[in-house]
Amino acid sequence: MDIANSRWLWLSTIPVVSVVLLQAAIFLRRAWRDGKEMGLSEDQLRTGFKTGLISAIGPAVAVLVGMLALIATVGGPVAWMRLSVIGSVAFELPAAELGVSQFGYGLGDEGITETAYATAVWSMTLGGTGWLLVSALGTPHMEKARQKLGNGKDKLIPIISSAAMLGAFAYFLTGEVAAGTPETGSVAVGGLVMLLLLRIADQRDVQWIREWALGVAMIVGLFVGVALQVTVGSWW
Amino acid sequence: MSGTDSSAAGGSGTGSDVYQDSFIPYINTWGRRTNLLAVLLSLGPAVVLLTVFDIVPPSQAIIGAFVSVAATFGIFWVVEPISYYPVLGIPGTYMAFLSGNISNLRLPCAAAAQESADVQTGTPQGSIISTIAIAASIGVNTTLLGVGAFALVSAFQALPGLWQNALESYLVPAVFGAIFAQFGRDYPKVAGVGFVLALAMTLLLEAGVLNFLPGYPLYVVIIVSVFGTILIARWMWEQGMIEAPEDD
Repeated sequence: MDIANSRWLWLSTIPVVSVVLLQAAIFLRRAWRDGKEMGLSEDQLRTGFKTGLISAIGPAVAVLVGMLALIATVGGPVAWMRLSVIGSVAFELPAAELGVSQFGYGLGDEGITETAYATAVWSMTLGGTGWLLVSALGTPHMEKARQKLGNGKDKLIPIISSAAMLGAFAYFLTGEVAAGTPETGSVAVGGLVMLLLLRIADQRDVQWIREWALGVAMIVGLFVGVALQVTVGSWW
Repeated sequence: MSGTDSSAAGGSGTGSDVYQDSFIPYINTWGRRTNLLAVLLSLGPAVVLLTVFDIVPPSQAIIGAFVSVAATFGIFWVVEPISYYPVLGIPGTYMAFLSGNISNLRLPCAAAAQESADVQTGTPQGSIISTIAIAASIGVNTTLLGVGAFALVSAFQALPGLWQNALESYLVPAVFGAIFAQFGRDYPKVAGVGFVLALAMTLLLEAGVLNFLPGYPLYVVIIVSVFGTILIARWMWEQGMIEAPEDD
């Protein structure tokens, strides 16, 4: 599989990854400028940026570990591109699998042909465009749906948004709870640590605790998951 | 330095004018351009395999693979943007669906940043902060994965299997628990509703009760969890059972 890690493939991933970074830069600049005009303080903007940065490190390392599986099957450049643009391990691995399965292979099989490999690349690429197209063309129209849910009442919007967040994360975390005891422990402890840290931050008004709260919660949750796995295992 | 400026968090008149009349149109223009451009450029590796290496997979294999992918994930192309939109806002939707890793990375970063910058989710100010936080998270994850793909792979493979598995399995659940708790602090009743709804739907899914629906009915679990929670929260608000926390 020299092709999968060839210089040509690395080069071919650069344009699309650049678009992701470019968009982030454009949006960031504008949000900073307009944010100030809207009365957000320099402190608030900087805190938002810092918290985004800190909170991203842990999950990005986790994505990196998931990327190992993808690197082993589709090579470094494609794995990097797929996980920097559009995808997540939960989509890319099955998509690649569906690609090579057209030739009767499974991922990780020895001696996958070049054609099967290329089909996996096509399958991930075409499969991922759905989200891009819907978000590119549909986003401006979605505001109407949200205002409808809010019934045109301004006060209701933060409640609708928080409820959406709670619903989405309830869905994410019940999936983890169903996965086993260690996952459930991580969910519970991650939540408790967050509550505790935010409480301390509120009481003493210490800003850096808020910035690190998510990072700390995930590390503690990680260790509790491991501890449960090596002690009691999984009960379901 | 908690950066509490209550007039900012409250959404003053001029603030939302700048947001609606200047920021959002700009974001819509550039968001659409960049995401469509990414559709084209994401073909890069496939095209290089085609042109430089002359690997031409039979078209029926590509079509077969695409149809299988569309059958499995197609519903999520629509359900996910619509479900996450109330959370991500306009700029966040463009960015998150361009850069991926939404549940495990973009949403938690945006939420944590809103908490520490002391702005409310769903307000123009909240949207500005989540834009900034998501941009920061994109920088981190592109860099880290790029370095990782080049250099760190062997280091991670040297990790004992237990820790590889732990990083893959237990970090993300802790993030989910933490963000849920963060929002649950402000709205404990809504958190209870969301949890019960999602748990019930997940159990129904696992028990196979939803199998009468076409495809793998995970999408029903998302829709019911997100929109069910929204509708019940709205009803609770109308009944005076909950209210938005005061900006301090």
